[in-house]
Amino acid sequence: MRIKEKLKLAWRIFGFFFKIGFFTYGGGWSIIAQMEKEFIEKEKWLSKEELLDIVSVGRSLPGLMIGNVSLIFGYRMGGVVCAVAAVLGIVCPSLIVLMVVTYIYEAFRDNTYVARAMLGIRAAIAPIIGSAGIRLMSGALKDRLCYVIMMVAFVLCAFTSVNIVWIIIGAAIVGLLLNQDKMKGERDDTGIN
Amino acid sequence: MIQELIELFISFTKIGFTSFGGLSMVPLINVEMVNHGWMTQTEVSDIVAIAEMTPGPVGLNCATFAGIRVAGMAGALSANFGMLVPTFTLCLIVAIYYVKFKDSNMMQRILYGIRPAGIGLIFATMLTLGISNYAPGYVISIPSMIVGCMIVAVMIKFPKISVVKIIIIAAILGLIIGGF
Repeated sequence: MRIKEKLKLAWRIFGFFFKIGFFTYGGGWSIIAQMEKEFIEKEKWLSKEELLDIVSVGRSLPGLMIGNVSLIFGYRMGGVVCAVAAVLGIVCPSLIVLMVVTYIYEAFRDNTYVARAMLGIRAAIAPIIGSAGIRLMSGALKDRLCYVIMMVAFVLCAFTSVNIVWIIIGAAIVGLLLNQDKMKGERDDTGIN
Repeated sequence: MIQELIELFISFTKIGFTSFGGLSMVPLINVEMVNHGWMTQTEVSDIVAIAEMTPGPVGLNCATFAGIRVAGMAGALSANFGMLVPTFTLCLIVAIYYVKFKDSNMMQRILYGIRPAGIGLIFATMLTLGISNYAPGYVISIPSMIVGCMIVAVMIKFPKISVVKIIIIAAILGLIIGGF
C-alpha cells in the first residue's frame, strides 16, 4: 500500500515538472517562480525557506541547476523514486522540443516570428525571477547580518567571476560561526572574501 | 555506434561535472564538440542561440542536438544521461544529507547563512539576464523594454497570475511589438 502511494506521488511530481519543463526559460531560473506558485502557494508542500535552501544548494553544485533543484525537491518529497520522477519530468520537455527543432533547425533559427516571440519571452524573464526573489525574501532575511550576506552574495555573483560554490560555502561558514548566539547576531563583518 | 554512444555519454558527463549552470558551460561544450568533430564552431553558436529560444537549460539542449546529429535518438538519450550524472550522484548525496539533517541545530545555522545568499544569487541572475535581454550587446532594445514594462504592469495588476500565462502573454506581445 505504501509503495502504491509513493508511486502515485511520484507520478504527480512527474506531471508537475513535465508541465513546468515546457516553460523554463532564462537558463531555468523561472523554475523558482513556478515552484513558488505551485508548491508553496497552491499545494503547500514546501515553506519559502525550504525552496531557498533547495535552490541555493542545487545552484551551487556542478551540473544542471534545474536538474539538481528538481532532484533535491523530489527526494525531500518522497525519496529516490520521487527524485528520479522529478528529474525525468523536467528533462523530457526540453528533449521533446529539441528533437523536433534539431530536424528543422535552420528554418527555426531564421524564422522572424520565432525571434519576435522570443524577444517577448526574454523580456518577461527578469520580472518573473525578480518577483520570485521578492516573495522569498521574507523567509530569508531575519536580521541585519542576513541583509549583509545577501548584498555580498549579490555583488560577488553579479560583478565578479567568483564560482557560486564558494559564495554558498562562505555564506554557510558565516551562518555557522556568527549565528551561534543570536544576541550577537548584529555584527557586520561577513567573512566572505 | 555503441562506441559513439559511450563517447557522447563520457563527453557530456565531463561537461556536467565541470560546469556550474547557464552559459558557463558553453566553452566546455565548444571544446568537446569541435575536438570530436561532432559539430562545427558555427553550429555550436547556432545551438546556443537555439537553446535560448527553447525551454530547458542550454546544457541539455546542446546534449540533445549533438546527440541526434551523431547517433540519432539513442545518441540524444545517451548525451542527456551523461549531462545528468552529477545530478544523480553528487547532488543525490547532498539531498540525502540535507533531508536527514535539515532540522538539526548545526544545519539550521548553516542554512541561516545560505538563504540570504540564495536571495542575492536570484537578484544577481535577474540583473545579468536583464542586461542581456533589455540591452543585448549593451544597446538598449526599445521593444524589449516596452514588453518588460507591460509584463511588470500585468504582474502588479494580477499578482496571482501563473508563470505559464505570463510567458504566453509575453510571447504574444513580442509578436506584436517585436517587429518595430
